Amino acid sequence: MNANEFKEIVHNGLWKQNPGLVQLLGLCPLLAISNSLVNAVSLGLATTLVMTLSSASIAPVRSYVPNEIRIPVFVLIIAVLVTVVQYLMNAYMYGLYVVLGIFIPLIVTNCIVLARAESFASKNPPLASALDGFMMGLGLTAVLAVLGGVRELIGKGTLLSGIDLALGDGAKDWVIHVIPDYHGFLLAILPPGAFIGLGLLIAGKNWLNLRAEAKARSNPAPLSNEAVQG
Amino acid sequence: MLSSPFITTPTSVNQIMLRVLLALIPGIALYVWYFGPAILVSITLASITALATEAVMLKLRDRPIKPFLSDHSALLTAWLLALSIPPLAPWWLVVVGTAFAIVVAKHLYGGLGSNAFNPAMIGYAVLIISFPAHMTHWLTPHALGGIELDFAQQLSYIFHGTLPAGLTLDAVTMATPLDTLKTQLHLGLSVSEIRDMPIYGRLAGHGSEMVALGFAIGGLYLLFTRIISWHLPLVYLGTLFAVAGIFHVFDPTHYVTPLFHWFSGAAMIGAFFILTDPVTSPTTAKGKIIFAAGAALLTYLIRVFGGFPDGMAFATILMNICVPLIDLYTQPKVFGKKDGLL
Amino acid sequence: MRRIVRSTLQTAANLVFFAIIGTAILAATYGMTHEVIERTVEAEKLKLISQIVPPASYDNDILKDERHIEADALLGTTTQTVAHVARRKGEPVAVVLESIAPDGYAGKIALILAIRANGELAGVRVVSHKETPGLGDYIEIAKNPWITSFDGKSRNIWGDKEWQVKKDGGQFEHMAGATITPRAIVKAVNRSLLYFAAHRDELFAENIAATHAGGKP
Repeated sequence: MNANEFKEIVHNGLWKQNPGLVQLLGLCPLLAISNSLVNAVSLGLATTLVMTLSSASIAPVRSYVPNEIRIPVFVLIIAVLVTVVQYLMNAYMYGLYVVLGIFIPLIVTNCIVLARAESFASKNPPLASALDGFMMGLGLTAVLAVLGGVRELIGKGTLLSGIDLALGDGAKDWVIHVIPDYHGFLLAILPPGAFIGLGLLIAGKNWLNLRAEAKARSNPAPLSNEAVQG
Repeated sequence: MLSSPFITTPTSVNQIMLRVLLALIPGIALYVWYFGPAILVSITLASITALATEAVMLKLRDRPIKPFLSDHSALLTAWLLALSIPPLAPWWLVVVGTAFAIVVAKHLYGGLGSNAFNPAMIGYAVLIISFPAHMTHWLTPHALGGIELDFAQQLSYIFHGTLPAGLTLDAVTMATPLDTLKTQLHLGLSVSEIRDMPIYGRLAGHGSEMVALGFAIGGLYLLFTRIISWHLPLVYLGTLFAVAGIFHVFDPTHYVTPLFHWFSGAAMIGAFFILTDPVTSPTTAKGKIIFAAGAALLTYLIRVFGGFPDGMAFATILMNICVPLIDLYTQPKVFGKKDGLL
Repeated sequence: MRRIVRSTLQTAANLVFFAIIGTAILAATYGMTHEVIERTVEAEKLKLISQIVPPASYDNDILKDERHIEADALLGTTTQTVAHVARRKGEPVAVVLESIAPDGYAGKIALILAIRANGELAGVRVVSHKETPGLGDYIEIAKNPWITSFDGKSRNIWGDKEWQVKKDGGQFEHMAGATITPRAIVKAVNRSLLYFAAHRDELFAENIAATHAGGKP
């Protein structure tokens, strides 16, 4: 993996092929669990962990798996990893485990995990695959974090509520009451808020892209830069 | 709206809108007569918010402000929204609802003519989902002789949230007739026992039935001056009557009369003023009939079996989604094509 | 033919190989975590109970002092539930019961309540519910202290008339616009107190006697 490949994988995961904003894969957990910053980031990190490990373990065995049973084997590997993560959260982050509930085991069915296994890890060496899984997961986590943060801020007027579930009772004071005496805007926390919020985020990304394009057209970027983007 | 080939009246948008606003006046007047002037405060608040957000959005979208602002469509949204929320609602509630209606439901969809949903109903849905507690504080009509707030006290509640010492919200507000019906049926009372409660009048809720009548009168004016076509209101009310009638005849102890459904909640204002929004309703006569019948059926189902006391707003929104589909299947066949589908 | 059989067997063996490795990893993780998980689950349960029965008020192992209770109309339960008894120096302090209010605005509301030996409520908490967010959800302790209005209440002085929400002529507060939810809870708590009055001795009996009462060890 040379520097250019490295850059491209990072750029794809975080921005150009962002799972949450461009590929639009794995929307079920994205929409369901992004009702607070802590929930969103926790599920995002759990997914990132699974994606990194699954891509890293699928890539080295890719040449030993016959093509016909490729998908069952990938699913098996992903399911094992998710169950391991589930056990660990159940044991060491019980509060968060209860809050995230069904969405931890559902990481297995999150299409972005299998999609990266199938479209990247099954064709690339382990290190690049692990990086791809990690960056895709991080891209998803970033979208989840922004969506979760905005929904929590508008819905409840706080940030980081429930942080004690992830980091223990000591973290209770970390909760930021951004707007004191807030009435709460339930729409943001309820499912419609997720759809509206994600719609606005996608619109925002497209707007930034368009602006960047317009800028590039008015003063052409150097060629080397184009190559990386392409 | 102007792009629709089926409206042939040679009147401009602002003329039509002005007459629709005018037709709302009888209902509003009766509202003030029975429930006091607080509703005028929310109408004013909503109007100011609507005009301000409309201007800002037009500016952001690089559209000419003056011609669009004076088409009165934002005002109509504001009035319809204000009329569907409790008059004692705090000021910020009216502002948030109206701003959401204009900014998100209207302009993010491309502005007047491109919006898929009735903006006022989206504003209402947002409010009832986000602030369910505030949306239950309906005023008690004068005639029931309960404790009443004078205008200054109402203003103080709307703008500061303070009630005169010793008064609770429960004492000066009540649940709507539809809501009361639902909760009392839940407790096992029969329809006739519930109808004997003082909040009910001749047809439906005391006071609110007369307001509904006022909207019906305004609606008939629109019908006779051909600003709206007969299809939507008549099919809507007809279907609602038929469905409610079947249930009522079948089991009168649990299902109220069709007239009760006509004169409760938003049925009348909905039939004449909300469904008839030309942007969010089908273009053909056949399409309008399907649209109105579906809305009536949904209204009844949500009212009687759903989780919300009234179903007009959600029925409208759900049928709004179906409009492109209805239009697709009811468009006249194009000459030379085997069927109407492309 | 032979080649097909061979390649089929190879593929199967391949899948079995991955399945065995996967199972081994899972078994190892389970072995490493299951004790911690059991301890965490117990600690969480104890944390819930300690909200309504102060830990300082008893000295027995409350989670071990359990009895099984058959489904009962007064408790609103349709399956067997577990009750826990808090004791101090062998004397019963309080019993922790599960109860269900079947007639919430949006379905069942699951409650946990602690009743002291003298029939007074030590506390009530809502365990799960589907009431309207922002309207009926003030029954959660995290949203509103309303649920603590049951603390110290009993049927010793108040009868069925007082055990109602104020709107129905009773003693319990409720929020304007949302009476169905508190009404359901007040009713369920009142009925649970009736259950307690009828089964007090069985509930507080030592574990050996409870075997007879509950029908299960």
